[in-house]
Amino acid sequence: MNRLFPALVLIVLMACGESKTKSEEQAFLESLDSAESSQPEISEEVISDIMQQIPSPLEISVLLKESGTNYKKDILNSTDNTEKYNSSYKQALNLGIYGTDLGYTNIYEQNQDGLFYLNSIKSLADALNIGQFFDFGTIRKLAANSQNLDSLLLITTLNFNSINHYLQTQDRANLSILLLTGGWLEALHISCQVYKEHPGLELREKIGEQKIIMENILLLLNAVQSSDPNILALSEDLAELKSEFDKIEIIYTYQESTFEEIDGVLVIKDNSTTEINVTEENISSITQVTDKVREKIIS
Amino acid sequence: MKKIISSLGILSIFIFFTTASYGQCDAGSISDQCIPKLQDGFNFVKSYQIDGAGGSKTKVEYSYVFAKGTQYMINICSEASDTDGIVVSLFNSSRKRVTTSNANGKLFSAIAYPCNATGIYYITFTFEGSAKHCGGAVLGFKR
Repeated sequence: MNRLFPALVLIVLMACGESKTKSEEQAFLESLDSAESSQPEISEEVISDIMQQIPSPLEISVLLKESGTNYKKDILNSTDNTEKYNSSYKQALNLGIYGTDLGYTNIYEQNQDGLFYLNSIKSLADALNIGQFFDFGTIRKLAANSQNLDSLLLITTLNFNSINHYLQTQDRANLSILLLTGGWLEALHISCQVYKEHPGLELREKIGEQKIIMENILLLLNAVQSSDPNILALSEDLAELKSEFDKIEIIYTYQESTFEEIDGVLVIKDNSTTEINVTEENISSITQVTDKVREKIIS
Repeated sequence: MKKIISSLGILSIFIFFTTASYGQCDAGSISDQCIPKLQDGFNFVKSYQIDGAGGSKTKVEYSYVFAKGTQYMINICSEASDTDGIVVSLFNSSRKRVTTSNANGKLFSAIAYPCNATGIYYITFTFEGSAKHCGGAVLGFKR
């Protein structure tokens, strides 16, 4: 009985796990480069925990819009580059980059540009066999009218969340990590480029606090770098970026928060603070390294 | 042989009821249905599934990097009209509690957190007298 129990449990679990559609899974697996089939070195649970911490790139786009800076199309990755991306490594990274660019165009209500980015996203998502997670028809309809901004942002965020979840459940966390890395790097790039023309304390601190995300991104890439020499090279490039972020100091001071009830919502007053010590030189170095790494990815 | 067959029968019944009771929690649907509860002006970030496995799990935890200068909102939903005893607490990266929705002697279904200190935060869901130990939550942000 003792020997039978684990075997039975395993059979039951395997039977439950087979409920996914086989054709989708098969098509997806066949689409991957053979070099990407290795398993990550740390547990998928830990990877998943770290991945969920990565903030939405939309947060930076909203900050830029609300701080009054103008839309700058020329700093985004041109959709003309889409056809260059032939490996799943490049497709996943640039899918993340285009995802951030789409969010940026949406926030600035640049609907025509948004449609171009949507087409590029469709092309890359289809190439990775994850196009089924994008409701392109609905997104196109929403993008046609600026009144639909909230719905547009919601559905695109939901679609990207579904892709990340799917990739992780299919043991393809490496592609999900590349997608997140591309999305984060593009948000950093946009911030640095806007900072060149509109330097200010808030944006400087926003760039400086990316140190926390940088550490997580590198942890994730290091966890899967043995699965693909491209990821190993990317990790090395980003290690250079991390060394620039290491020069930034973030001092956290805890103080107990207070709260009040407003219209049935518990509103917290956060009495803790962070002091982000980041200089112009830090930003300049981060901008340079970010440009260098991004250029390799988008070219 | 008879012993093995009867043991297998008992085991099958055990597995059936265990999986059936877990299957009652459709946390994915509840968290999806929770999205419209975000207040106007907040951008949706993530939805969280809260499956207490029928009471055998005492907490469900996620984490996120909250940024200074950004206001976050977390809404809790359950199959019932209220929170069904689900409590959300925020802890900073040193595991010091920042806040909890169990305040002023009641359980709030929504908390707003204007963040003043950037860092990794743990979003922990626990159960206080919950009937179903099952729910969902959504996280949104605004500047």
